[in-house]
Amino acid sequence: MKTKILSLLAALGIGSMVVLITACPSAKNTTADAGDAAQKVYVAPGKQDENYFFASGGFSGQIGVYGIPSGRLLRVIPVFSQDPEKGWGYSEETKPMLTTSHGFIPWDDTHHLQLSMTDGIPDGRWLFVNGNNTPRIARIDLTTFRTTEIIEIPNTAGNHASPFITPNTEYTVAATRFSEPYTFENGDVPIASAKENFKGALSFISVDKESGKMGIKFQILMPGFSYDLSHSGKGASDGWFFFTCYNSEQANTMLEVNASQKDKDYIAAVNWKKAEEYLAQGKGRTVKAPYMRNHYSDETHSATSETVETVVTLNPAECPGLVYFMPTPKSPHGCDVDPTGEYIVGGGKLATVIPVFSFSKIQKAIADKSIESDIAGIPVLNYKAVLHGEVEKPGLGPLHTEFDANGNAYTSFFVSSEVVKWNVKECKVIDRAPTYYSVGHLVVTGGDSKKPWGKYLIAMNKITKDRYLPTGPELTQSAQLYDITGEKMKLLLDFPTIGEPHYAQMCPAEIIKPKSRKTFKLLENKHPYVTLGEKETRVERKGNAVHVYATAIRSHFKPDNIEGVKVGDEVYFHVTNLEQDWDVPHGFAIRHNENAELLIMPGETQTLKWIPKKPGMYAMYCTDFCSALHQEMQGYIRVSPANAKVELSSNAAKDKKPQ
Amino acid sequence: MKTNNNKRTRREAKAIQLACLLVWGTILLAGVGSINACSKEGNGDGAKTDASKEVVKEKPQYYKVKNVELGATIDPAMAKHGTQIFDVTCTGCHKYDEKYVGPALGQVTKRRTPEFIMNMILDTETMIDKDDTVKCMLQTYLMKMPNMQVDEKDARAVLEHLREVGEKK
Repeated sequence: MKTKILSLLAALGIGSMVVLITACPSAKNTTADAGDAAQKVYVAPGKQDENYFFASGGFSGQIGVYGIPSGRLLRVIPVFSQDPEKGWGYSEETKPMLTTSHGFIPWDDTHHLQLSMTDGIPDGRWLFVNGNNTPRIARIDLTTFRTTEIIEIPNTAGNHASPFITPNTEYTVAATRFSEPYTFENGDVPIASAKENFKGALSFISVDKESGKMGIKFQILMPGFSYDLSHSGKGASDGWFFFTCYNSEQANTMLEVNASQKDKDYIAAVNWKKAEEYLAQGKGRTVKAPYMRNHYSDETHSATSETVETVVTLNPAECPGLVYFMPTPKSPHGCDVDPTGEYIVGGGKLATVIPVFSFSKIQKAIADKSIESDIAGIPVLNYKAVLHGEVEKPGLGPLHTEFDANGNAYTSFFVSSEVVKWNVKECKVIDRAPTYYSVGHLVVTGGDSKKPWGKYLIAMNKITKDRYLPTGPELTQSAQLYDITGEKMKLLLDFPTIGEPHYAQMCPAEIIKPKSRKTFKLLENKHPYVTLGEKETRVERKGNAVHVYATAIRSHFKPDNIEGVKVGDEVYFHVTNLEQDWDVPHGFAIRHNENAELLIMPGETQTLKWIPKKPGMYAMYCTDFCSALHQEMQGYIRVSPANAKVELSSNAAKDKKPQ
Repeated sequence: MKTNNNKRTRREAKAIQLACLLVWGTILLAGVGSINACSKEGNGDGAKTDASKEVVKEKPQYYKVKNVELGATIDPAMAKHGTQIFDVTCTGCHKYDEKYVGPALGQVTKRRTPEFIMNMILDTETMIDKDDTVKCMLQTYLMKMPNMQVDEKDARAVLEHLREVGEKK
């Protein structure tokens, strides 16, 4: 039936674009090319996928890890949101990771991912992700697939153009999507004074080569526009960074209308090597802007927080050659650089063309002083002078572009729900493939690096409607896998994703897999409350704090009988998992505890806090099926009234035994 | 769920074999045979077993450590190091004088060869899978000893510690 309607429309000679737009709801029966799609995504039982696909969880605050081509979900990495399943943000060790200068914030909105790179190619060491709402950047250690560092970004509201990185991971960046008063402490001003008072900070965060530790090196004080997305230069343009911005109108209300007044907004081209020169010359200004930096150690199995008090700022007006604006049509969003580094693509959300800028032309325009105007001391380069070309009639609502190794670009079109393949040099459309529906970001294996592996493209769609079994009003988000080895893109697979993925990264498994960690060495455990062997188990009282030095091994806790805990005590269970075998975590939970569980990896120590409120018998048990006798891995804690005379005792090796 | 796929496959293969036997009406004999095979050796691990009664039918094959050279006397420094490793790594499941999660180990050097002990520590999965004595012990304990990722030097030290404990009795 649907097919008939489609054929009829086509027969009537209506353009394919119109068909797509009007026929959106009718496209529900569209399936992958029957041919060999199933064979291409089938990963037989016991076999492993060929690629890792990391997709941001969007409003889930986490990261989803999938295998490609199967689309199987392998892990959810907790980042900015508490995850009771893993005790993330609930255990005493992980709570500092979610601490900010504004207190404990248990949620955020992850948008963009970047794999660390060496010479512009993903090296599989770390994965960076931004927190959009309470501006932060997290670094994931890809040996453990865990968040190992979170740094807060001050003077930033909506850290969206982040955490894109330079080719040798020298810097990751952050930017403010909401211009705002600089600094936060100066924020108590009338909103109507936005044009006068609001600024847009671009932050460059250095990444230590060995440890990966992040530190804000400098912030560039830009005009109060909305900085939206970015990508680093590479190859030809190494040393530069490109940021799109919209709302050059500087509207502070109804941006939907008021920020779309001008024909062009800008891409800011930032020469970060020049910034380093200016810093060395002492052009930086130190400003008070307290922010937090949280680091998780795999030696102490604990996180620590530190407050940094200041940032160094650079003012472009005082630093000639630091920043240039390139006029870019209609509220640009995506900002993508091709593998050679020569071409910079802007995705103008409301534009009818895709502008492609040339880095060598930018250099020439700067040398020739081909300058249209000046905004707050920042030269605006002449559009025609820096333009390589425009892709004509590419589709509606261009957003993001990725690349393959053969000189082709792939751009997502939100409004017309399609991925369009085009040749970068010629700016000519080669192929278009529908998405179901309304694609946001897209990703190609290594598609924003110097050497894309190509082969697969994944479109991450914002709307799924009828693609899956319905689950009430709220539906899964959807990813769609395409084979891009041929001239034409071929849809292979739909698969659901967690949260709402924005950007993603995809790389061959071999880059990461061999380094994956299996256990933590017990004898290297430097946790302050580690229990090295069952002989060391004990329970200690310090005032109303009770510290339980417990061990877990298949399949018992030691101690598993504790008495003398009283109502109102702060009980800390420091559980060391004595296992040294891969894939043998133990879980730990206490009845009526206003807290989550612990999930303790082999060789690790984690701490669960519990403040019993009523006298009684409290059961505790292992929550992770660990052996044939897992059900036996249980115990009791007797809780007595606050004034009871029951002495603290347990069946731990070093304790007085309960009577 | 922690399961070993290879093992599972092997178990399934065995189940199929057993099923075939059933078809041929010999399951009863086969079953009785396998239980009997463990009745003596199965308990050959605790304090109450008389080690001298164990019958070793043929020399078992070890895959990781083929031969262990023992000194004529205990090396005290090595034994001390072995005590530390034992305390951290082994006491979760083993005591010296009584059965705990696993067998008592105070007299283990009297009933097991050094090669058996070394391979049990270092090549745990293979021993559980292939060694007849260990296969029978599993029927008693139902808990597979985990590989604790001890290196050969530390495993040798644990053996020295166990020799020392054994001699003190």
